[in-house]
Amino acid sequence: MKVFVSGGCKNGKSFYAQRLAKDAAHIDGGISLPLYYIATMRPVDSEDDARIARHIDERDGWGFATVEQYERIEEILLKCDCGGSFLLDSLTALLAEEMFRPDGRVDEQAAVRIVQGLTEILDSVSNIVIVSDYIYSDAAVFDPLTELYRKSLAMIDRVAAEMCDVVLEVAYAGVTVHKGKDVFRHEACV
Amino acid sequence: MILIFGGAYQGKLDYAVERFRLSEEDIYHCSEDDAQMPTGKKLIYELDKWILAMLKADACTASAVKRLIEDNKDVIIVCNDVSCGIVPIDPVMRAWREAVGRALAAIAGEACAVVRLFCGVATVIKSDGGLITDEC
Repeated sequence: MKVFVSGGCKNGKSFYAQRLAKDAAHIDGGISLPLYYIATMRPVDSEDDARIARHIDERDGWGFATVEQYERIEEILLKCDCGGSFLLDSLTALLAEEMFRPDGRVDEQAAVRIVQGLTEILDSVSNIVIVSDYIYSDAAVFDPLTELYRKSLAMIDRVAAEMCDVVLEVAYAGVTVHKGKDVFRHEACV
Repeated sequence: MILIFGGAYQGKLDYAVERFRLSEEDIYHCSEDDAQMPTGKKLIYELDKWILAMLKADACTASAVKRLIEDNKDVIIVCNDVSCGIVPIDPVMRAWREAVGRALAAIAGEACAVVRLFCGVATVIKSDGGLITDEC
């Protein structure tokens, strides 16, 4: 199953997504599929290192193989078994990496490239959970770059939501199923 | 009256245009510099901008929204939801955020159908079973 998860920040959606990906790897008869965690954030300072260390701790014992892919997201297909269960966390970080380049350049075509890569991935794998952030209901006028970032992420989110079987909005202990009510059976326990 | 709301870039207008087979001449595009009553079209787009225009012109948004509801029983209203972020420092934007919230609550109360767009996916929040059913 292909699942798109979004919602506000730090509300438990990554942890919930982790459980979905892990459950998808365990199929009947005790057989386990390879389980991949696609890490999309390139660490640049000690704060990032600490965040990553915390995430690695949280995943300890879950059986995830971590694949670092900060750009050209479709290249995970060359590194992983397409029959596995994937957790891609998150589109938000991936867009930041692709759009705001290490040399200081801003790539306005980043969203178009990510949509192409993501489409390739969603056409190739059967089990994936994709995490994004819902950053669209602010009462603020942003600078043009931030606005472009929001617009770009929305474009990627909409393609992911369209291609996934299930679209979920996670808000702490609540999960809203926006798409795929008929196929999605999971205990809504965040 | 039908209300379609959601965050920025979530596909609200795409949904309305496709669902109700509208064309550009059916759409009233609100502007944050025009406080005139947005009438005469099948769909009012970005009602939040009209509310901002009224606040900039020191007009009473609550009575204008009441008039809008009374005079436009058959219109489709598309509005950005700006209720979920940080409280703005700017007093006009702060008043705007609250006025949009109150306007959406008033319109949702009167509307025969309310639809929320989330990443391009429409969810019917309210329906009297007429134009829009639970299947969108």
